[in-house]
Amino acid sequence: MAKVLEGPGMGLMKKWGITVPNHVVVTSVEKLTTLGDANNWLKKSKLVVKAHEALGSRFKLGLVKVGLDLKGAQAAAKEMLGRQVGSITVSQVIVSEMVPHKEEYYAAVKSTREGAEILLASCGGIEVESNWDRVKKLAVVVGDTPSPDALEKLAKEVGFSKDLAKKVADFAGKLFACFDNEDAQYLEVNPVVVRESDGQLVALDAVTLLDADARFRHPDWDFPFAAEFGRAYTKNELEVMAVDSKIKGSVKFIEIPGGDTAMLPAGGGASVYYSDAVVARGGKLANYAEYSGDPPDWAVEVLTEKVCSLPAIRNIIVGGAIANFTDVKKTFGGIIAGFRKAKAEDRLHGVKIWVRRGGPREKEGLEAMRALRDEGFDIHVFDRHTPLTDIVDMALQRQTN
Amino acid sequence: MSILATKDTRVVIQGGAAGLNAARRMAEFCYMIRRPLNVDAFVYPPDSGKTNEVPYGSGLLTIPVFKTVAEATATHPQINTSLVYIGADRACAAGMEALNDPKIQLVSMITEGVPERDAKLLAQHARKLGKTFNGPSAIGIVSAGECRLGVIGGAFDNLVSCKLYREGSFGVITKSGGLSNEIIWICSQFADGITTAIGIGGDAYPGTDYVTYLEKFEQDPQTKAVVIVGEMGGDLEERAAEWYGLKKRRIKLLAVVSGFCQESLPKGMKFGHAGAKEGLKGEGSARSKAEAFKKAGAVVPDTFGALGPAIKAVYEELVKSGQVRPIPDLSSEDLPKLPKTVEEGMKAGEVTVTPLIKTTISDDRGDEPLYDGYPASELINKGYDIPHIVGLLWDKRLLSKQEAEIIKRIIMLSADHGPCVSGALATIIAACAGIGLSQAVAAGLIMIGPRFGGAVTDAGRWFKHAVDNKMSVDDFLTYMKKNVGPVPGIGHRVKSVRNPDKRVKELVSYVKSLGIPTPHLDFALEVEKVTSAKKDNLILNVDGTMAAVLVDLGFPVDSLNGFFILARTIGLIGHWVDQKRQESRLIRLFDYLVNYAAPKRREVPPLK
Repeated sequence: MAKVLEGPGMGLMKKWGITVPNHVVVTSVEKLTTLGDANNWLKKSKLVVKAHEALGSRFKLGLVKVGLDLKGAQAAAKEMLGRQVGSITVSQVIVSEMVPHKEEYYAAVKSTREGAEILLASCGGIEVESNWDRVKKLAVVVGDTPSPDALEKLAKEVGFSKDLAKKVADFAGKLFACFDNEDAQYLEVNPVVVRESDGQLVALDAVTLLDADARFRHPDWDFPFAAEFGRAYTKNELEVMAVDSKIKGSVKFIEIPGGDTAMLPAGGGASVYYSDAVVARGGKLANYAEYSGDPPDWAVEVLTEKVCSLPAIRNIIVGGAIANFTDVKKTFGGIIAGFRKAKAEDRLHGVKIWVRRGGPREKEGLEAMRALRDEGFDIHVFDRHTPLTDIVDMALQRQTN
Repeated sequence: MSILATKDTRVVIQGGAAGLNAARRMAEFCYMIRRPLNVDAFVYPPDSGKTNEVPYGSGLLTIPVFKTVAEATATHPQINTSLVYIGADRACAAGMEALNDPKIQLVSMITEGVPERDAKLLAQHARKLGKTFNGPSAIGIVSAGECRLGVIGGAFDNLVSCKLYREGSFGVITKSGGLSNEIIWICSQFADGITTAIGIGGDAYPGTDYVTYLEKFEQDPQTKAVVIVGEMGGDLEERAAEWYGLKKRRIKLLAVVSGFCQESLPKGMKFGHAGAKEGLKGEGSARSKAEAFKKAGAVVPDTFGALGPAIKAVYEELVKSGQVRPIPDLSSEDLPKLPKTVEEGMKAGEVTVTPLIKTTISDDRGDEPLYDGYPASELINKGYDIPHIVGLLWDKRLLSKQEAEIIKRIIMLSADHGPCVSGALATIIAACAGIGLSQAVAAGLIMIGPRFGGAVTDAGRWFKHAVDNKMSVDDFLTYMKKNVGPVPGIGHRVKSVRNPDKRVKELVSYVKSLGIPTPHLDFALEVEKVTSAKKDNLILNVDGTMAAVLVDLGFPVDSLNGFFILARTIGLIGHWVDQKRQESRLIRLFDYLVNYAAPKRREVPPLK
């Protein structure tokens, strides 16, 4: 799932015939000034300025300002740009035209197992969230297109009267076309409004989630995907991502502040089970990590260094299921090299290491891990005969005793 | 008995290298259970008409590659299953092609990163046709003792230790491919093993859900219990729980679900498979799924580690109630042994091999080449130079600084001699004809021989012969005249006593200035005195000078031409690049440069 910010999201909706307000995305006040010279609407309309970042509750943070003229917009942009919210720095603002309107509606298309669901409501904004029962749905089987009649029926069910129902149905049809053609996983417009000047339905906001796997058939997706985390990636995370993009197989790393149990398990499925076991036994995760698909040893070494550099950790869980084809000896070679480096930098003081793994060359790999004891590591090594997450039980039991 | 993958399953694999790898793994399984390979064909348009070789035991099976699934099933009508290993951008088309083939009932797709819309279309199409579409991102399906589809089950030793050679009583359905092996292993250790294990893929919308497979397991009398390895996200686990709770089921159900850790993570932070990336609390969360399973009467261990004992408890209950009779395990002696590769056999000390070739100069097996035992980087770091590498690789010795300097000068002096000489001309003609670098340089190198540049070895040989046998110059010249002919290394086409070759003078004066013993050079210069007195151009030429000096340095006679070849290669490469840079066009000899001495035009007589 890949989140797309409002600007490019609106661009996609516009491509499929949905009316969106005039808007520009700028990275500096100067650019806004320059655009103001060329775009009449910036001078004439009332404007909204919003931080164009993957941030929730922008209103509360003072990152949405409404009813401004161009001067006011420039001032708002100046205030927002460069502001630090958690680990995100506001680097873009979106400036759009205010659309005078009376009523607000809700429209969305959501992915389902069979295809998609079109959601409509005759209320919008925060009202729809507290009146979810007013949202009506129309299921569309994958490959099908909803008929105008079906959409109109849905609109009427929601409570739109005749003329408006036709318009809403048309809007929903366009939103569905955008969803279906752009490999979207979720589209939401909240609110949809009736523009007072011409009675047109306008999308005032766009929540857009696209299927990143479909990128290959959308050469016009020229925008970056937003970080999904609600925070910017850390330096270590970015470094591991850079390694990940270069190799066969994969390595992943996410830091979780305040944890004491470091994770270095193998495989996407097992890694989550290991994390679950830590939580179930009262531990606090210091990170999420996984390596899978037989990555090269140097990539695992980089990952290990990052794991070892986590602050205040007491245990490192080097877990893993019985691998299908990941070479245990080779990948453990990377982990061992990482451990040695960390130890040389005096990082693993009082840290216990727990190992459990099986798979190709498991004997050699586990033997090499066990040999680290002779180098002064506090390491405990188990093979396939020890159930997957039992090392977590042992690690955390020790900790509490 | 088993489901989906059975003794009657016959397979076409759609895909290239990854598909071939799967076939090899499937052959290992077939070999273990002593059944013929169940892969009959590949479909991979780039390789159509060719064959793929699949090792089976110690033999090699030849499997045809077709352009289309239709061709494959027409030629092998027993095919009823397709495994798709085609890249994400073409996977949908490949899956549709397989589903549309009337012979094929089951399509399992290993491809990862397939767009969700494509996965849904494939699933819908399969449902419409009443066929099974498994995946995408599915590691495969394995039925113990019967059939393996894909690489599920891992390496051969693991197949054996997981007792996949005979059926047990537990069915497995897992989203995670990485955990498939683990769960199969657990079933074989804590119970009597599996009937069928299915990897359904970790995507958000697997083509076939748990319920469909649970129905099939419920119909399979051999399967007494089913283990589900689930993940947070979506509602497939809830649907499975609902199915199980709906009425009394014959099979026992055990389930684990991952993703509990999400509850204690900072907001917005998610990880795991694509299918796991939704739902925190409420619907789709690990907790709601686990609760649903518990409510439906399934066994739900609190961690994955507790799954083994839970399986054991179910198994013992089944034994106690007489539904399952314990079966003895086979000892590994009773099972076929997968023949080792030569490498594996050597590693285990089980075979010796007579080497095909022997080398005494270099070794490439470490992280960098060793030249006569010395690591290249260490030579560089300790100040050694190209002539030292020549010394190591040609004569297996470390040259002194002085010797290296002489070699360097020899190379510098003979690197090029203009475009007119045979070698350079050949390279230039080739370059102008659009011939590539290595071939054009080779054309130039081919010219090196008795009349051009290739007299170094011969000159060295005869000077050495003379010095070794303490011949006088007169004896030598007499000997050469009688037995060999003109003295190699003596004489030049254009240079003479009055028009000396500066290169020779340079080299000689440098070597002499070093004050080292140079018996061969001294002898050669004595020979020159006599020959050049007879005829002005019978001087010691560059080949002869190099030869004498190099023999003085102790280089083996057979290596001597190499110095000219090495040096002149620099020039030949230069000429090729030069022509390329100028974008030179094809050249040909002008006819006025040819003496046409062939007969004039004449009438062809009637054929007799």
